[in-house]
Amino acid sequence: MERRSISFNWIVAAILLAIAVIIPFVLEKHPYYVHIFILVFLFGYLSTAWGLVGQSGQLSFGHAVFVGLGGYTSTILFMDYAITPWIGMLAGVIVASVFGIIIGYPTLRLRGPYFALATLAFGLILQTYVVNTQELGPIKLRGAMGLLLPLKNGGDAPAVFQFATKTPYYFIALAMMICAVLLSYLLNRTRIGFYWTAIRSDQDAAESLGINAGKYRLLAFLLSCALTALGGTLWAQYFHYINAERGMALSLSIEIVLVGVVGGWQTISGPMIGAMLIIPISELLRAELGGGFAGLHALIYGLILMGVILWLPRGLNPLVMSGLKCLGDRLWSTNPAVNTPGIVGGSGKVEGR
Amino acid sequence: MVETLISALVAGLLVGGLYAVVAIGLSLIFGIIRVINFAHGSLLMASMYAGFWLWRLCGIDPYLSIVIVVPLAFIGGYGVQHFLIHPMFQRERTYVVEPLGVLLLMAGLDMALANGALLLFKSDFRAVTVPYGAAAIHLGFLTIPITRLILLVISMLLALGLSWLLSRTELGNGIRAVGQNREAAALCGLNVYHTYALTFGLGCAVTGFGGCAMLPFYFVDPSMGLPLAIKSFIIVVLGGLGSIPGALVGGFIIGVVESVGGQFVPATSASIFSLIMFLFIVFFRPKGLMGVLEA
Amino acid sequence: MAILEVYSLSKRFGGLTAVSDLSFSLNESEIVGLIGPNGAGKTTVFNMIAGFYKPDNGRVVFQGENLTGLRPYEICRRGIARTFQVTKPFLDSTVLDNVMVGGFLQARNATEARNIAWKALETLEFSDRADAIGHEINVPDRKRLELARALATGAKLLLLDEPMAGLTPSEKGHIIDLLRKINEEGFSLVVVEHDMKVVMSLCPRIILMDRAVKLVEGTPEEVCSDPKAITAYLGEEYAARDISQGDEDGTA
Repeated sequence: MERRSISFNWIVAAILLAIAVIIPFVLEKHPYYVHIFILVFLFGYLSTAWGLVGQSGQLSFGHAVFVGLGGYTSTILFMDYAITPWIGMLAGVIVASVFGIIIGYPTLRLRGPYFALATLAFGLILQTYVVNTQELGPIKLRGAMGLLLPLKNGGDAPAVFQFATKTPYYFIALAMMICAVLLSYLLNRTRIGFYWTAIRSDQDAAESLGINAGKYRLLAFLLSCALTALGGTLWAQYFHYINAERGMALSLSIEIVLVGVVGGWQTISGPMIGAMLIIPISELLRAELGGGFAGLHALIYGLILMGVILWLPRGLNPLVMSGLKCLGDRLWSTNPAVNTPGIVGGSGKVEGR
Repeated sequence: MVETLISALVAGLLVGGLYAVVAIGLSLIFGIIRVINFAHGSLLMASMYAGFWLWRLCGIDPYLSIVIVVPLAFIGGYGVQHFLIHPMFQRERTYVVEPLGVLLLMAGLDMALANGALLLFKSDFRAVTVPYGAAAIHLGFLTIPITRLILLVISMLLALGLSWLLSRTELGNGIRAVGQNREAAALCGLNVYHTYALTFGLGCAVTGFGGCAMLPFYFVDPSMGLPLAIKSFIIVVLGGLGSIPGALVGGFIIGVVESVGGQFVPATSASIFSLIMFLFIVFFRPKGLMGVLEA
Repeated sequence: MAILEVYSLSKRFGGLTAVSDLSFSLNESEIVGLIGPNGAGKTTVFNMIAGFYKPDNGRVVFQGENLTGLRPYEICRRGIARTFQVTKPFLDSTVLDNVMVGGFLQARNATEARNIAWKALETLEFSDRADAIGHEINVPDRKRLELARALATGAKLLLLDEPMAGLTPSEKGHIIDLLRKINEEGFSLVVVEHDMKVVMSLCPRIILMDRAVKLVEGTPEEVCSDPKAITAYLGEEYAARDISQGDEDGTA
């Protein structure tokens, strides 16, 4: 029975992947829809990276900072020092990790709500600083103007992470999201994942079993920051622009949180599922209704968030997973009413424990 | 130079009064119910819009509209606790991570309220004009707008009144008891959930009071809530959980720090000082300056 | 060979002395019971040995190494595991996954941890429930889960905080058998308990605490007939009655 569930979920994943690969070619005439997919993958990626901190039990409200740090680092290196963003993004990871230690070390030991507020505060501090600062020594931050990515060869220069069409960005974003989810999945099968689950379930019990909670929390946080920074570079390269007003904003942090929570923030596939629901809603609303209804999509965000917290505290992930399981049982056996006792952690691409 | 500093100090105190009046309500809610009320700013915004439209459509002076807005705010607050937060507490019996859940719920409410207002009222800044709006007291080189001074006085009166309520009345004792140990309070016969709802309502009522008093000089727009809410959190943590006077003092401190600091760095950067102070308190003295309750 | 030596442990909380000058030692493969009325300080002693509290005074020496003041996870790594009075299972994980968390302390990877976990489950006759989720299982099973998890860490010494609390007599009997089995496999146990029948049958040596100090130490028979013990549990009148057999002091 367990084997069947594993195979089925992987098959579904493979089918979805195949569809995803074809989409940009099918939708070649509709770049706007490709754009929406790219956003879905981008936010799926960012929220999955954010979710790693969630798996160790803390909810960060300041993760946009790392998006900004990653994007700013790679872009400044490109603009002022002609270093290709392919390498610049690694520098972004380093910068984000340094800040991750500075922020994470004192805050991770705080209790849930205080950690959330502290990360929010750090995020605001950094954002305010960057918005108001033109130069930090030799580094030209350019303040509120932000960084406008100089186009090389009219925007067609793969060597410096610039592509003429949306398709390459699509595949990069898709690949990043899949890698993030896979990483989360693989980690959950190892010591790290087990320890994260233990820490978030009951820290005292975890410590009494030999787990250094502080170390594993910091590890989750640093991993999360590093991955988020990579997303920041993708952001800068795709939008051709990054600024602190948006790229490091509380609103972006909240959006990442929203996607993660709606999908199921302590699970493996939750954030990805959340992105698939949330992003298309807001984009389509924005497109169809335009300026006359400013705020409608965010209103719906707020209502969805409230609804999820009140009625689906675990997010959409459990629904999707049990739906898949139902489907799998039905397709595989003639007796769909067979019940396997609570196998939650054994199936592929399933939530964590 | 000295004159500018003194002006900044006075301005800071006046702003501090505004911050305090918003923070007092939050201090009550945060201190007693332990809810991180992310929606606090939007609830303030809602009561200010109510006051604005009462002025705009019915010509009611903001100070008078207090009589209408405050009870409405109370009911609104009671409703939020009863319909939204209470179900979360009931779920606490299971294994759901509750404090974060309520935080997220309130964040969602804040988003909904702020953007609902945006949809309804558009993003224009609204201002109330009253005949005495420009009146000011002149003390030497200082110009003190009357409306802001009134708000300062109101903030102190509200703090005083609330403190009196909490320490001298049975209702207040009940509220404090529930804030300290809700199981024990329940065992003593207190209806905890009703008390919580009352507390939330009271917090919103106080905030609504302050909101109306802000109308004569403060612009209303849908997005004004969150920055003020964040400031209020800083103040509440600085002043100390469970301490109404602490919220007042904290408000003044933050107001002065930002105002005086704004003389040396661009005003937009001055907010960094309060944020850093917040982090300091959280890391080194979570009880805050006058904190009574445990975090 | 003394595996655990506790010297003059003391702990105060504000004005309250929870534990005062407590010393005892434990030999390898021994079972020692720690008994006493509520508030005697038993759990505080545990918490100090396990690293949850730092002693104000005194030392904890385990296998010759001074463990005083180390963090709980460091102490577990050195071979002391503990269970909790109110069980703390990882509620969203399966029983097997729960025990694997303990197993990772000795294992290099997930497969090894899984094998260790299975062994621990088998020792506790719990393998049939391996797939049950933490929040589904009942109290006696939670107790077994805590034991299995502690075993899986490979600890030599188990500190068991009221392992019988909340169990029916037959369930208690079952756990006693399991504990004996564990002990026979070489684990040393320190057991805090209230149920005298359990303590008498399980522990060849007992330490009785009352109001922060060690009152009596010895075999169950010795402890039970000691007037200090009787006073601690039942009050002076009962002690006075027994004293009529000829002891000098009427009070403890």
